[in-house]
Amino acid sequence: MLKKISGTAAVAALTTMVLAAGLLHAAAQGDADKADAVDYTSMTPEALAEHLIFKTGSFKTDQPVQEGGVAGKRLEQDETQRLCSALRDQPVDGDTAGKVSALARASIKYPEGGIKLGDWKVGRELAWSGFGYRVGHRNDDHSQAANGPGGNCYNCHQLATDRTGGSIGPALSGYGKLRGSGEAMLKYTYDVIYNAHAFFPCTKMPRMGANGVLSDEQISHIMAYLFDPESPVNK
Amino acid sequence: MFRKIVLTLPLAMAIGHAGAAENYTEMAQDEILRALIDKTGSAYLGQSPQNLQMMPDNPAYWVAEDGAELFNTARGPNKVTLEECDFGKGPGVLEGAYVELPRYFEDTGKVMDLESRLVHCMTTLQGFDKDDPAVNKRHGSDSDMMKLQTYIAMQSNGMAWNPPMSHPLEKAMRDAGEVMFYRRSGPMDFSCQSCHTETGKRIRASTLPNIHEPEEWSKAISWPAERAGQQNVRSTEHRLRGCLWQMRHPGIVPGSDASIALISFWTDAARGQPAILPDLKR
Repeated sequence: MLKKISGTAAVAALTTMVLAAGLLHAAAQGDADKADAVDYTSMTPEALAEHLIFKTGSFKTDQPVQEGGVAGKRLEQDETQRLCSALRDQPVDGDTAGKVSALARASIKYPEGGIKLGDWKVGRELAWSGFGYRVGHRNDDHSQAANGPGGNCYNCHQLATDRTGGSIGPALSGYGKLRGSGEAMLKYTYDVIYNAHAFFPCTKMPRMGANGVLSDEQISHIMAYLFDPESPVNK
Repeated sequence: MFRKIVLTLPLAMAIGHAGAAENYTEMAQDEILRALIDKTGSAYLGQSPQNLQMMPDNPAYWVAEDGAELFNTARGPNKVTLEECDFGKGPGVLEGAYVELPRYFEDTGKVMDLESRLVHCMTTLQGFDKDDPAVNKRHGSDSDMMKLQTYIAMQSNGMAWNPPMSHPLEKAMRDAGEVMFYRRSGPMDFSCQSCHTETGKRIRASTLPNIHEPEEWSKAISWPAERAGQQNVRSTEHRLRGCLWQMRHPGIVPGSDASIALISFWTDAARGQPAILPDLKR
């Protein structure tokens, strides 16, 4: 990847030299910063991407978001996102895997009173619901969701067979039936839901707990949906 | 007999080769899709036989007809048609213009997509104010914008995606778009890559296009398209807006440089494959 950046920067630099002056491009976009004209062609793709995202008024960054604060914060990357983005289409390397899984394990917080299974019927709705955290032209109003914003599990996973789930993640049909609900299995499952990078560094799975998407209570209901023998997942 | 076979073989190969590669521009939209399905066996392309059957009756064709009329009508304070508008291949040249967008325009010094170029011509040539509904209303089959976009894009049906990459700004925008494609952020840690770099994966019941499969990606980016479930023709910028919304990323300003960078990268990814315009989608 490093090699690719150098190549791209070299081509950009060479082209700029060959074509001399006159390639400036005004950064101003409507209400954006009216900075001095910025030369996009002399920036690395990474630098230009950051510039376009934060300095050109391209995104509606001042919109309030459901977690508090404004939308612009969602464009900032933390270390995990930064490290995993750098992989592009390559599988995670050992060095990155080590860093990301360590960050993940350090992030995991357990509920007071320990890991408990909640109500699988609520978990069923939470696993199906894709409502929540969307902003822009239409903001999800969380006060309208009886059980709070959903986990959207069915987006990527097949769970019970009465509904169609996606195939981006592994199928979880028969989850509890196949694994039992011993303490180690409960803890492992909680960890994966909370921050899957602990076991699958640079996984596509969102950090449901660590990113504050799901509450302790919601996680307990989803875990019940996975483990309860009465849950459709295990029928 | 042997000599006869030898002589006809190159001729047969020439016909076969020409038939396979160059026919797309003479094909209807559903014929192009059928050809791509036959060629690739792609789960994404073939996921809806119903959609394929409905394509000849695509409501977008009516929207395009309205667009043709608007295009050739003298409008705005300056009372001129859009025939003087340069979409990249010269004023009024529409054939093949859409598949060569986004591109750099000398008169604005910017890389522009169809929507932003249309806004430019409607405001500078026709004299519309940028807040006039004719310019400002970007969504809905009843909008001038969608009628015009659908008409203009349709003139590139079957042509190979071919956005220019010779100007340094074109390359810079495309490369920045590529970085953005892979850039994970937000409460779900999503990037475009989260959904669009594997073949045959599904979100719920819908099979996703893989950007690394050019035939799949060509249909994926074939907008304007009628969204059957939304009963409206939707634009490229509308699709981008929808993606970012589901990704839990902030809303994007249509025609902004970040939007152009992403569209630039995603059009380059379909390079060489035939566009299906207007398309019909779920």
